[in-house]
Amino acid sequence: MTKLAYYPGCVSKSTGKEMDISTRAVSAALGIELEELEDWNCCGATHLPNEMVSTGLAARNMAQTDLPIMTSCSICYSNLRSAVSRMEEPSVRARVNAALAKPYQGAQVKHVLEVVLDELQKDPDKIVVPLKDLKVAPYYGCLLTRPKGGIDRPEFPTILEKLIKTVNADPVDFRLKTFCCGGPIFMPQEEAAADIAHKILIEAKQSGAEVIVTLCPLCHLMLDAKQKSLELKYGAAIGIPVLYVTQLVGIALGLGPDDLGLNRNCVSPMPLLEKIYEKMAGEA
Amino acid sequence: MAVDNDREFKKEVLRLAGPDVLTCMQCGTCSASCPTAHLMDNSIRKLIKLVLEGKKEEALRSNSVWLCTSCQLCTVRCPRGIRPKAVVGALREICEREGRRSNDQAYEDLFLQQIRDCGRVSETKLSGEYLLANPMSAVQAMELGLELAPRGKISIEKERVKRPGEVKKIFQELSK
Repeated sequence: MTKLAYYPGCVSKSTGKEMDISTRAVSAALGIELEELEDWNCCGATHLPNEMVSTGLAARNMAQTDLPIMTSCSICYSNLRSAVSRMEEPSVRARVNAALAKPYQGAQVKHVLEVVLDELQKDPDKIVVPLKDLKVAPYYGCLLTRPKGGIDRPEFPTILEKLIKTVNADPVDFRLKTFCCGGPIFMPQEEAAADIAHKILIEAKQSGAEVIVTLCPLCHLMLDAKQKSLELKYGAAIGIPVLYVTQLVGIALGLGPDDLGLNRNCVSPMPLLEKIYEKMAGEA
Repeated sequence: MAVDNDREFKKEVLRLAGPDVLTCMQCGTCSASCPTAHLMDNSIRKLIKLVLEGKKEEALRSNSVWLCTSCQLCTVRCPRGIRPKAVVGALREICEREGRRSNDQAYEDLFLQQIRDCGRVSETKLSGEYLLANPMSAVQAMELGLELAPRGKISIEKERVKRPGEVKKIFQELSK
């Protein structure tokens, strides 16, 4: 059994509850044991301009375990990864460690996407609900692959398409897949952020997708929770469900709506799920 | 560190964002990659130029400081290996130290205050506090609240780490 340390991040307690619920459910179904970091703190998200403090906050989290650390949030993931690389510099490590109660001694950081992909490739028989012909828009957002040197190239990444194909669904060609959702500025710069998020939703619709898959709770908020207000603002219906990657994988693993927190998504994915189940029943 | 004049300003930005910024050749790859460039008074390329010229006021007053979404596309593309995002971060930090007021600054301050005090961010509390600082955000907050509340995604619990002293120390020691 694989054992990983789990860093849920602040949104797991509120706007990203279904991200946390589905991450735990999918991990359990794949035989991954998660040990939550004992006293994790916020990574600072995109609101902490001081890089030393940001490194310190990440290092405090990472020093709490010897296991590889998994997170489902691209922002947390990017901040942890940036800190790992800054801590390679001996002067930074010395200064940061002097401010920590427990010193950082190196860490391995993983995004749930790569963990799940690895497990599914080892054991494809776990996929019991075929998602054949389901058109999925792979939305990476920014921070899964930035800064560079992570699990995929920052330009034209393909790892999410690989996962979508692994669960037998069809990734659509999605031009804006690495375009920022505007989330980090959506509170004070409402108009600017709304404009960007709307573009992404329209592009996803035009690409023929039935569902968008996201890797980050802020992207999810912008595309899902704000979708209705964007429809009102721009005067046209969109109505495309937005799933966390762990929710999509969970459906393929045969987990139910409650296991995956599907009732918490703002644009209901239930009609889509019914269609998937009906199709499966028809083929059986 | 106080930044009283233009020369000190440039020095401080270089200290925070790295000396690589000096190698900028003004190619504009950053601005061309930026998702909010069309809304900026001074694009990211221009912002870096202002920093290098030591034009403190012009740089700090640019709306680009707050329109940056931290997406880091400029950072992965810069042919000189400069991190324009780090330059924006440095300018935000200087704005914060100088107590400059704007809605963006208010949001950033509230966010940081929560981490400093509790070690974690409680989103509901953050939106509520921001609403007091900027009543114009009421419509957006209400729209979102109506979507999130029935789905159990608004939590009024104040999130806190077990050992907030450890987080406070990180801020104290490392923000110098």
